[in-house]
Amino acid sequence: MTRLAGTVLTLDSVAAVGFAAALAYGLTALPRGLPAAAPWLALGVVSAAARGACGFVSVCTGAEAARRAKSILRDRMTRHSLALPLGQRPETGALMTAAIDRVETLDGYIARFLPAKAATAGLFVVLVATAIASPIGAAILAATLLPFIFLMILAGTAAADQAEAQFQAMMRLGAVFADLIRALPLILAFQAEAAETTRLAHAAGALKRRTMVVLRIAFVSSAGLEFFAALAVALVAIYCGFNLLGLIPGFIQPFHFGHLDLARAVFVLALAPEFYLPMRRLAATYHDRQSAETAADGLMAIAAQAPPAATAPLTLLTAPRIRFDNVSLRYPGHDRSVLDGFTLDIAPGQIVAVLGPSGAGKTSLLNLVLGLVEPTGGLMSVDGQVLGSLASVAGSVGWVGQSPLITAGTLARNIALARPGATSGEILAAARQAGLCAMLATRAHGLQTEIDERGSGLSGGERQRIALARFFLNPAPLLLLDEPTAHVDAASEAALVASIAKAARGRTVLIATHSPRLAAIADRIVRLEAE
Amino acid sequence: MMTALSNLIAQERKTQRARLLIACAAAMAVAAGSVALLGVSGWFITACALAGLAGPIAAGAFNYVLPAAIIRLCAILRTGGRYAERVIGHDAALGALARLRPKLFAAILAAPVERALSLSVGDASSRMVQDVDVLEARFVRLPVPWGLAAGVLAGLAMLVPAGIAPAAATLGILVMTLGLGWVLAWLSAEVGRDVQRSIARLKDRYAALVSSASELRAYGLEDWAAQEIARESEALLRAQKQLTAWGGWFALLQAMGAGIAAMLAMALSAHQSLPLAAMAALGAAMTVDCAGPFLRGLEARGSWDEAARRLDRVLDNLPSPIPAAVSLSDRPDIRLLRPGARLVPGSVTGLTGRSGIGKTTILEQLVGLRADEAVTILLDGLPLPAIDLARLRATFSFAPQDAAMLSGTVRDNLLLAATPATSDDDLWQVLEDAVLAETVRGLPQGLDTWIGENGAVLSGGERRRLNLARAYLRAAPWLLLDEPTAGLDAVTEQRVVERLRARLAGSGQGAIIVSHRPAPLALCTSLITLTESGAEILGLPGWGPSRLGDHSLHIVPIV
Repeated sequence: MTRLAGTVLTLDSVAAVGFAAALAYGLTALPRGLPAAAPWLALGVVSAAARGACGFVSVCTGAEAARRAKSILRDRMTRHSLALPLGQRPETGALMTAAIDRVETLDGYIARFLPAKAATAGLFVVLVATAIASPIGAAILAATLLPFIFLMILAGTAAADQAEAQFQAMMRLGAVFADLIRALPLILAFQAEAAETTRLAHAAGALKRRTMVVLRIAFVSSAGLEFFAALAVALVAIYCGFNLLGLIPGFIQPFHFGHLDLARAVFVLALAPEFYLPMRRLAATYHDRQSAETAADGLMAIAAQAPPAATAPLTLLTAPRIRFDNVSLRYPGHDRSVLDGFTLDIAPGQIVAVLGPSGAGKTSLLNLVLGLVEPTGGLMSVDGQVLGSLASVAGSVGWVGQSPLITAGTLARNIALARPGATSGEILAAARQAGLCAMLATRAHGLQTEIDERGSGLSGGERQRIALARFFLNPAPLLLLDEPTAHVDAASEAALVASIAKAARGRTVLIATHSPRLAAIADRIVRLEAE
Repeated sequence: MMTALSNLIAQERKTQRARLLIACAAAMAVAAGSVALLGVSGWFITACALAGLAGPIAAGAFNYVLPAAIIRLCAILRTGGRYAERVIGHDAALGALARLRPKLFAAILAAPVERALSLSVGDASSRMVQDVDVLEARFVRLPVPWGLAAGVLAGLAMLVPAGIAPAAATLGILVMTLGLGWVLAWLSAEVGRDVQRSIARLKDRYAALVSSASELRAYGLEDWAAQEIARESEALLRAQKQLTAWGGWFALLQAMGAGIAAMLAMALSAHQSLPLAAMAALGAAMTVDCAGPFLRGLEARGSWDEAARRLDRVLDNLPSPIPAAVSLSDRPDIRLLRPGARLVPGSVTGLTGRSGIGKTTILEQLVGLRADEAVTILLDGLPLPAIDLARLRATFSFAPQDAAMLSGTVRDNLLLAATPATSDDDLWQVLEDAVLAETVRGLPQGLDTWIGENGAVLSGGERRRLNLARAYLRAAPWLLLDEPTAGLDAVTEQRVVERLRARLAGSGQGAIIVSHRPAPLALCTSLITLTESGAEILGLPGWGPSRLGDHSLHIVPIV
């Protein structure tokens, strides 16, 4: 695709030769009257149209190539972002900047740089055409090419380091801004508007400075190249002029070798800037290459943190046996272990309540089973299969976390997350089982009530019930519950516990809780001690 | 019509006037230089040839120094001018953006609270990044019309010596090119708008789904989420491709315009001397070429319209200078009209009721995170909407139920509630009071430990206590604590409650505690239980009046 765009751009050089010929021979035909010049003038118009068409086709094919590449890369980045282990995950804002804004930088690289690179062949088309008209003019052009390329490489490498710094500043701004929007209620409640706006202004200022450094290098180099090209064209012009005036010394042009007439002189002069055009086009997009490479490095760094994508899901059909064998867990950058040598054997269908002070690792235990974190030591197995990068139970578990996921959309859509495609009857049944009836009765639109991303207007208990409804909609043989009754009153807790007991029947269940009432439904109680 | 955005741009143009003037001058130099460079070159070569043909004497008398000097001057003018225009123009534009972005955020903060809070992370980010970037492109193009004008003048200087006809023809083609460009801009505007909207939708979906990666993993929905994101991404990519294809039409238009102008000018100056005809032909081509930057501006019109509209919707909320002129005492009393209760300053009230009955709503209304349109609460006898928001918020310190955290360090999160006078000792004191000091001391970098996005590295209970410590740090007359001990084990909970009791006794702060748990409610001198039919207002249930002591009258049922 980019090769096609490049080939078309090379044809642009052919059309440029046509236009130069039209200009030169049309001009010299003018004294013989308009009819004599007319064919040349027509050639000029056709050549100009051909140049426009070449530009058009190369833009379109380049755009299509860029679209395909961005589509693939963005999808890969999305999947990596979703698979990043907890604790190593950059902020959402930074990930978003990487997967959306930075993937866009590929546009310049694929749609402009690669075709421009392929189109440097056009340079030889122009050189051959020039050589036919004036070998010495062509020699002058060829001689100036090497220093030109050298200059270009020099400018390109200077930009590389700066592009990296700009990438970081951009990620920073994206992360700070997204975080501030997420934490908006806090900033408002604590009246930290001024301080946080200043923090954002600093990040925006840093991005401005970094961008300016990168641009300055790009502008200096393209100005340098442009000036150099102008100088070379002037050299050709002086040669042509002196040649026409007959002022070229004989030792350069023995036996009137390469003596120019007006048409050929104008032709060579009109063509000279075209010789540098492919290279200047390349130089102008050189920083596209730099930023695409930097972006690719940054994206690869994020991708490298993600576990191998080939995680084979274990499909659980019946309540599984779960074993923790001397499992330890420590988050990166922390010198305190969350779990140390933890061993537990949960029989199929057993309900286990994990109790212990906050910070003792109850949630981490559940995260381990889910595969959100990897143990730093020991083994975990489900039905004898060792969990880890090669096998995960994700997809076969029911999960009610401390802060259930709420997305913008209707209540029904939120519940249906557990099984996209569920019918509204099934959703309603699940909502009933989870005890959402009382809540639905107070909302005018019932399940069709719109909820925003923050879940404004949903109480803590209602969120937990939505998560539980998800489980009922897609019941799995393994159920993990993280403090499901933390936010509810005694009466609601009793109702919720009853719902959970119903859900737990015939399943292996692991519950992290402080509630004695919830723990009472467990077959077994495990106490974790704080370090 | 002057919108908030055009006001801001006008303001930026004023502050950056000097730079923009230089950029305009540079743009003019570039355009005039380019036109003159080619025109004079054509004339020079042709004149040289004629002089050469006329024989050695004419060749010897030919003055090639002056034209050659003009050509060099034009080349320098063009290169230097382009560099200056780009550097200064971009510096001005990026500077304007760096100032606009915080203003945008300030406008979001100042928006009516429902609107501010309904803005999703992805949507806000697309406004902050993509829409503002379109603005940058617009700002960079401010000198373009000046360049076009200078190019036309220089073009006329090249063309008029060859006669009025080629000059008029070139102007005609230029006008036609611009006219067709305008038509193309009109046709492609919808696609440009679509690009801006699509990117907002993509970011919205991306942020929402990626921030809940853990849940998606649990449900095995990562694939579904990736497809959801890919669908929005494909829509954006399609729109972008269409917009680029429209760009191809603009390129075609420009190339054809320049070619036809050159040939036409040459044909119309057939009766002139060859050097003048050469100058006219090349000058005509370059004159039409000068329209290029202008056409690219037209090409971006749809994107610009949409970006401006989206930015304006946010910027319209820039802080309004209408302070509510009501005075609030330093320690106002709170009247809850729906339950019918008066909370006197310094009292500690428990708020209970079944889940979903609206306890959190009352706290959020007090702290101005939710409008109290129906007027269910009075502060010092005044309805909340009548009170200046800053004054209202200064009255409360809030520990919200979700225990949200900034991504940053423990210190960053505490400092949200700090004043310039806050010392490290103060920070440790509130951590002690929230029974978190020991845990923070155990963290690798103590107060400066990075706690991850939304406190991801902390356990649920630790986050809750940090949330509490932050609320303690703010010296407001009323503490609003939403489920302060949810998720804490009984021992820690008891310690938190004891510390809170001591703290309240020492500071004389009033408090409203929303909780389902007996331990924190035991602190309260009075209890309001919200029910569907109204509310039950009690002293502590079953504890008898003696335990209420002097505080028993702090809740005065009204009506």
